[in-house]
Amino acid sequence: MTEQNDKNLGRREFLGRAGKAGISIAAAGVISWRLYDREEPKTGVDAESLVTLPDFQVPRKDGQTMSIVKGSDRVKTVNKAIELLGGIERFVKAGETVAIKPNVAFASPPMLGATANPELIAEVVRLCYKAGAKRVYVTDNPINDPASCFTLSGIGKAASQAGAKVILPKDHLFRHTTLARGKLIRNWPIFSEPFMAVDKFIGITPVKHHHRAGASMTMKNWYGLLGGRRNVFHQDINTIIAELSMMVRPTLVLLDGTEVMMTNGPTGGSLSDLTRANTLVASTDCVAADSYGCTLLDLRVSDLPYLGKAERAGAGTTNYEVLKPVFGTV
Amino acid sequence: MNSVSRGAKSLESAVSICLLALLFLIGVGVFIKQFDFDMSRFGIDTTTAGLPSTYTAGEPDLSSLVPDGFKEFSEPETYSPDNLYEKINGKAPLYIESGFVKLFTQRFISKDDESLWMELFVYDMANTRNAFSVYSVQRRADADILSLFHPSFGYRTDNALYFIHGKYYIESVGSSESAQLFKAMTEIARKITRELAVDKVTEIAELSLFPDENAVIGSAKLYLADAFGFDGLTDTFVRQYKLGDETITAFLSKRSDATDAEVVAASYLNFLIENGAKTKKAANKNLEGKVLDFYNTTEIVLSTGPFVVGIHEAENQHSAEELAIKLIDKLNKAAKKSKE
Repeated sequence: MTEQNDKNLGRREFLGRAGKAGISIAAAGVISWRLYDREEPKTGVDAESLVTLPDFQVPRKDGQTMSIVKGSDRVKTVNKAIELLGGIERFVKAGETVAIKPNVAFASPPMLGATANPELIAEVVRLCYKAGAKRVYVTDNPINDPASCFTLSGIGKAASQAGAKVILPKDHLFRHTTLARGKLIRNWPIFSEPFMAVDKFIGITPVKHHHRAGASMTMKNWYGLLGGRRNVFHQDINTIIAELSMMVRPTLVLLDGTEVMMTNGPTGGSLSDLTRANTLVASTDCVAADSYGCTLLDLRVSDLPYLGKAERAGAGTTNYEVLKPVFGTV
Repeated sequence: MNSVSRGAKSLESAVSICLLALLFLIGVGVFIKQFDFDMSRFGIDTTTAGLPSTYTAGEPDLSSLVPDGFKEFSEPETYSPDNLYEKINGKAPLYIESGFVKLFTQRFISKDDESLWMELFVYDMANTRNAFSVYSVQRRADADILSLFHPSFGYRTDNALYFIHGKYYIESVGSSESAQLFKAMTEIARKITRELAVDKVTEIAELSLFPDENAVIGSAKLYLADAFGFDGLTDTFVRQYKLGDETITAFLSKRSDATDAEVVAASYLNFLIENGAKTKKAANKNLEGKVLDFYNTTEIVLSTGPFVVGIHEAENQHSAEELAIKLIDKLNKAAKKSKE
């Protein structure tokens, strides 16, 4: 026998080859180490210019966190729902400015229920002024062309006639934000400027089936605040909705289940996609409102993973019954 | 000499293990690092997408479809898979996963009444099967059939019209319930079916393999993937049947060959059993071992030739078996006919 293995590779030759391989690996490692850029890529946004949305919440009142009102007339149901939570004066004080963020995602006629109802928005504007609001803004960053969305949905006209100022999204109204403990919302542009100088923030949205998320309700409504190519977040829709619920702390949310889009959401398109549920929810807890909203879509909380994620992140509770919602009928 | 050989082998083993360990550690490092992927930093432009894409020759020109008494209410627009979400947001994945190529849209408004307007959506889905899939899975249950279309390929609701034409899936959505709008939508549909050139319409052969007796008109659907929540069940056609008070769903999926069909059928049976289904005695001996009780509903799954066939969530086992046998008979007859 010689110093050779079974395949006639000599020990000396093996060690030579192994040495060369080792040197190659080491050289690659050294080169990689030298080329490694330890500095993060420049995004053009430094930490100082990042924005954080203010906390618009009002002090909690036990037993007045959530109201659920049955009725077909949105003007009556929203008045009753807010009254059951202590009245509009609990949420809006004299001299305050209010931003209302309805879901105006699509250039779609109001009767299709793909956008927030114009009459409902107008009534909330009127209520804010009744409480002494100095100024009320109605604004959203829609999916489709903003001017068309506000016009064809009827929201622009209804809000203006009620005395609100409608703000359409422009480039200068976006600032980058990074959400503390956020995985997706990091250095991302958001439609922030209309909300930075207001005192109160109210969300208004219809209950809709959503092909990707399962349902679109109050928390999904905040998706409209995202700028940029926000569709990338559809790949992780549950996380982004949960993060939005952490990013936005509204004064009040109104979940309109008067007519519910049961199928083919979020755009719908046919009247037959809608079912009358004659329900309007007012809440200071988005997670609770959406958890109740599930029942209007024949869903369970477990069907919408973002609800559990938002709850674990401390954005609210999925067990809305512990809030002892106040029920009403008009 | 043996000891030298053993020593060499030990050294070789040690070096090999070190190299493998190094590669493993690099792999672990890459695996851990990828969890830190930050979309805002790496490669994704956070500005909005570009303008809608433009027309090219041979594509539908919607501005030529303005119906009588109407005028253009918006510029024609087109959307590609990259920016479809800008038009339909969360519904975009449904189309993109079904082979979407391009969307053409435009709004038209009545010259006499500005509350009456409609939006036309023409989705190029690359082929008829894809178009039929997105059409059928969104089909409204209480739709009205129109003589203008084959019952499986078009319908209307109170405010809208939906149909397929070759590779195109088309929606006309009206701002309200209106006879004037519906007339205009019908006029557009006629123009499209008459003038919009498409390749020779591809026959969807599977649709004719279902029995016709007791079939619910317009109930056929095509799931390109994940039928009934099972990822192995692709290209699956379903059709509903009205048997007494009960509505039963039959399905079939053509596989590459009989062996593949057997494998998929067995996998789907196992999937159901893993999710709580239990085998139950079949009244028809040909279905023995293929009938399951799934939370008080009957599921039937089997293969015949290159087809996976079955019944989904039937309340009545007898009706389910009867329909399954009819479906199998029809498939066998079709197979025999094709051999002749």
